[in-house]
This record gives sequence, structure tokens and C-alpha cells, in this order.
Amino acid sequence: MHDHSAIEVNQLVKIYRGAGVPAVNNISFAIEKGFFFGLLGPNGAGKTTAISILCGLLKPTSGTIYIHGLSYKKNREEIKKMIGIVPQEIALYHTLTAFENLQYVGNMYGLKGVQLKQRIMECLTVFGLEQSKNKLIKTFSGGMKRRINLIAGILHHPQILFLDEPTVGIDVQSRSVISEHLQDMNKKGTTIIYTSHFMEEAQNLCSHIAIIDNGNIIANGEPANLISQHQSNNLENLFIKLTGRKLRD
Amino acid sequence: MLRLFSTIRKDLLILFRDRSGIAIMFLMPMALIVIMSVIQDAPFRDYQEMKIPILLVNSDKGVLGKTIEDSLKKSKLFDVNDSVISETEAKQIVAKGDYKIGIIVSANASEELNKKVEQFVSKTFASAGIPDLTQTADTLYETTPEIILYFSTDIKKSFKNSVQSSIKQFSSKIETQTLLDYFKKEFKKQNNDADNFTDEFISINEKNVMDGDAENLQMNSVQHNVPAWTMFGMFFIVISLAGGIIKEREDGSYLRILTMPGNYFTIMIGKISAYLIICLTQCLLMLMVGIYFLPLLGLPELVIGTNIFAIATLAVCSGLAATGYGIMIGTVFNTHQQSSTFGAISVVILAALGGIWVPVYVMPETIRVLAESSPLYWGLNAFHDLFLRAGTVQTIFPYLLKLLLFFCLTIVTSFFFNKIKYT
Repeated sequence: MHDHSAIEVNQLVKIYRGAGVPAVNNISFAIEKGFFFGLLGPNGAGKTTAISILCGLLKPTSGTIYIHGLSYKKNREEIKKMIGIVPQEIALYHTLTAFENLQYVGNMYGLKGVQLKQRIMECLTVFGLEQSKNKLIKTFSGGMKRRINLIAGILHHPQILFLDEPTVGIDVQSRSVISEHLQDMNKKGTTIIYTSHFMEEAQNLCSHIAIIDNGNIIANGEPANLISQHQSNNLENLFIKLTGRKLRD
Repeated sequence: MLRLFSTIRKDLLILFRDRSGIAIMFLMPMALIVIMSVIQDAPFRDYQEMKIPILLVNSDKGVLGKTIEDSLKKSKLFDVNDSVISETEAKQIVAKGDYKIGIIVSANASEELNKKVEQFVSKTFASAGIPDLTQTADTLYETTPEIILYFSTDIKKSFKNSVQSSIKQFSSKIETQTLLDYFKKEFKKQNNDADNFTDEFISINEKNVMDGDAENLQMNSVQHNVPAWTMFGMFFIVISLAGGIIKEREDGSYLRILTMPGNYFTIMIGKISAYLIICLTQCLLMLMVGIYFLPLLGLPELVIGTNIFAIATLAVCSGLAATGYGIMIGTVFNTHQQSSTFGAISVVILAALGGIWVPVYVMPETIRVLAESSPLYWGLNAFHDLFLRAGTVQTIFPYLLKLLLFFCLTIVTSFFFNKIKYT
């Protein structure tokens, strides 16, 4: 385990109960602190399983994971405090207001009082939601929901942020705000692990990527280097080259 | 503690913004208490306070007819209508169902009774070698005094038996009295002392099993329905609770919770606490309906006794059992549809077994055995012990223990199912 590693994964395997083939098949990689790391792959490649294991939601069948040198087996609570998660779903309570949702999330991370209120207002202002703080989430547009979903993941200043397709189904404006803010957070030192099907977005945002298919990592490195190694024009071209044109379920 | 209070606050906010959930949790059980108490008021009064309307045609001018008429009128059981004058008319009225019972005392019944008794006494004296002064021992009387009972065809068997038994009691009393009178008369003729004859050899007195404050308590519609539907209402939160858990899982918020600091039990304790607050509020409201609202509808007031601590303890244990059951259903089932269908049906079955509709003691033996496994039965019986038998925490302790064990079992089951689902 290197001191500069944010995440280190060794020979990780996950076989779901009753499944014949592993969802994640003996993968190893390291993500250094401050990386903007893109975990890319077609549907059913094993991205969500890998992210879920890294977030501590799933137990691996075998292999080890270290988050800032800590393991889930011994230091689950410490790891939980240092990571933030932005799931693909709008993981919020739709009958609560934006403020109530964020207050609950903040409290769960031990934030309270004036400090919490200031932090909530700061985030809402950055993402243009300060006027909607007292509106129920169910009244929000898709873009607003995505933005509040992101705020819920970053409210406690996580050192590592996991994002599972954070910009899916939203307008250009919302996507732009989210991308800018993620880049800003990354510049300030937050390690970001991100999955997406938008190759152009991934190419612009990520300092490093790994392409996963059928549970195996088939490419890992800086996007520019990988594109050049595989003589591709861009990340999308590289992705198709490595994963094929066959439709996935 | 911050996480716990925040979880409680969040769950309560979600609950109170769910109007249909509120209706299911509060209004439905309250409506059930009111409706069922009113509907079941008459059956519960049956032989206690309600008077049975009867038609009486007393064609006898003697003591038998008069005694039966007086006894029926004095009895708390019957409301006598003696305006009908013929047996045929009475029979038609009962056949139409306008009156459920018709009682006909035949003409000259007293005279016939006297003759029969006189003959019996004479025979008795003759067989004992005492001279027969009436000289009626060998006289043959063909007719027997008759009391005819007409019952409407839609009358309950138990109701019919009760009326028959009462009439039999009145007529037996008259028979005995008449016999005694004749014996006294005969003994006097024989110059014997007949003053020691008494009318009643056995006296039957009803005494209350309870002492003190609980002396006058009796089961009635309100005493049964309020605790019964309170238990039902508490357990009906499983639909809202299980639905909430499944919704959290479906929209991803449960996954977010799992990644936040705090373990499964912190989250569950928060959820349990929120729903326990709902259950206790439900219980309080239901009891208040019984105490303050039902009397306004002409129903008896709910008597809850004086042991508030025991009632609160029982409410907490029942609430925990209901909450645990809801969490288990929400954890085991995958969709809202599955959980709401199973939740609703299982609670109705547990309620039926637990004696919420029909008292368990009237159920068949096998069902009575099954009833013992229903948490609603434990809760209801404990409420009856507290309300009707002046029970204490000690007396209801076995029920409290069962409710708590049920809660522990459901939480352990939920924990393991949750572990299976997220590994």
C-alpha cells in the first residue's frame, strides 16, 4: 500500500449467489490521491458492482481493498466518513424539502447547527438551488434533482467521491454546472471516481480511466496515452475498439 | 444520538406528509372502533341490558297466568306486550317476524294446575297411609295446563334457549308453590304443623369475582372493541412501514444510508422509534375515542382502570411488536405490492385469530390453539386483564414477554434478510 494511494484494489472477485460467472473477475488497480478516475464500460460490464464494493455496499467474494490505507473489515466507520457517494438514482426523500433532505444527510455525517446550515446554503447557492430550498424534491425538475443528489454526496467534504453516472438524463446547463463543480473539487484535492456512458464528458473530466468489460479491466491509464496507444481518435473510438459493437443487455 | 434523532425526525416528517398513510394509521382504526362498537353494542348487551320484546296472550284468569305475567313484566329480560288477545293473532305476528317470541297461557290453566296438584297430593297422602280428605286420588284429569311458546324462524338458538329456560323457571316456581300450598293445606287438615315449609330450598346469588374498583366492570362492546381495534390499528402500520422501507430501497436512499456513518441498528432504532411514537399516539387517540367520543353516541364509556403505567408498558410492547413485524415485511419482500398485500392479509388473519372480531372462547378448539400464537391475541388479552380484571404489569407480564420476544424475532429475521440481500 502506497501512501499516495487513495484506493488500492488487489485481485478483487465478486460472484453473486447463484451466478455462474463472476461479475468482477480478479481485478487489481490503484487510484492515487487527487485523481479524477473514470471507470468506464458497457452495460453489465461490472462497473456498478466494482463501485458498490469500493463504497462498502457489497462484500467481495475475495480480494482486498484499501481506502487511504484502511480496510472495510477493520475501519468501516472511518472509511464511511471520508467517502461521499452520488448514486445513479435520485437517492433522496421526495416528500421532504431540499433543505430537510440535506439536513438529514448532514446530521448523519455529524454536521449540525449553524455550521450545517451554512454548508447547505453554500452548496445550494453554488448549484443554483437556494430559491428552491423549501420545495419538496418531488416538485423538482430532473436537472434540479441531479444537482441536489450531488450536493447530498459532497456536503461533508469527502476526501473521495464516488459518482455513478451523475449527469444522466439532464440538460446541458445542469451538466455543465455539475462538471465544473466536480473539476473544482478535484483541483482542491478530492479524489473522484466516476462512471459514465458519456465518453466525451469522461475524456474532458478524467485524469485517468479504466475500461472494464465482462468483469475484467481491459485498459487502465491516462486517456490521452490510451487513445494514442490504441491508435484511436478519441475515447469513444477507443471504447468501441476495446469493447466491440455488440449490443449489451 | 444526533443520527438517531435525525432519523426519527426524517421518518416522522415523511409519515406526516403521506396523507393516505395517515388515514390508514389513524382515521381507519378510529372509524373501525366507532362503527364496530355501535354494531356490536346490541349483541354484547344480549342478555345483560337489552330487553327482549315478547307478545303475551294470557287467557288464564287464575294465579298461574297472573304469576307468569307478573314475572315476565318484572323481569329485566323482557319487554311485554299484552295487547294482543288471541293465540291466532299472536302466531301470525310472530310468523311475520314483527315479534320474535309469543307466549300463550291457555284458558283455565290455573284451574287445571290446581286439579293436577290436588290429585298428586292426594295420591301421595294415600300411598303414605294418611287418610285422603279431598277424595280426589282416583279422579282422572285428562287436560294439562299449557304454556305455548312461538318463536320467529330467524331467532338465534341461544336466544331461544334463554327464553325457554326463563319461562320454565317461572312455571316451575308456580308448580312448586302450588304443590307446597296444597301440602300445607292438607297438613293443616291433619292438624300438623305446616309453617316450616319454605318456598325456596336453594338460594342462587351472583357475586362479582373482582374486588374493589373493578367490582362493577363487565365486558361490553366498547370494552371489547376499543382495545381490539387499537391493537389492529397498531399492527396495520406494517403497510406504511414496510412500504416506506421498500421505497427507500427502490429509490436508492437506503443505499445512501448504508454508505453513511452509523450501522444497521442505528438506522433501525431510529425507524423503530419513529413508528413507536406513531403507535403510542394511535393508542392514546383510540383510548380517548373510547372514553370521550363513544359515550356521545349512547355507548358505554371505556373504563381503563387506574394502572396507567401498565397500560403504557403494554402500549410500548405492542407498538414494538407491530413495528418489528413491519420492518420484517419491508425487509423480506421486494416490492411494495407484495408487502402491502401480504402485510394487510396477514394482519387481518392475525386479528381474526386474535379475537378482534369474535371472542376466542367461542372459536373451535384448533383455532383457539392457533390464537395463542397471534400477537394481537396477547395484546388484546393483556388489555382485558388491565381494563376488566384490574391487572398490573405483573399479571400481564407473560403477554409483555411474548410481545417483546416477537419483536426480537422479527428484528433478528430482518437483520439476516438484510445481510443476505446486501452481500
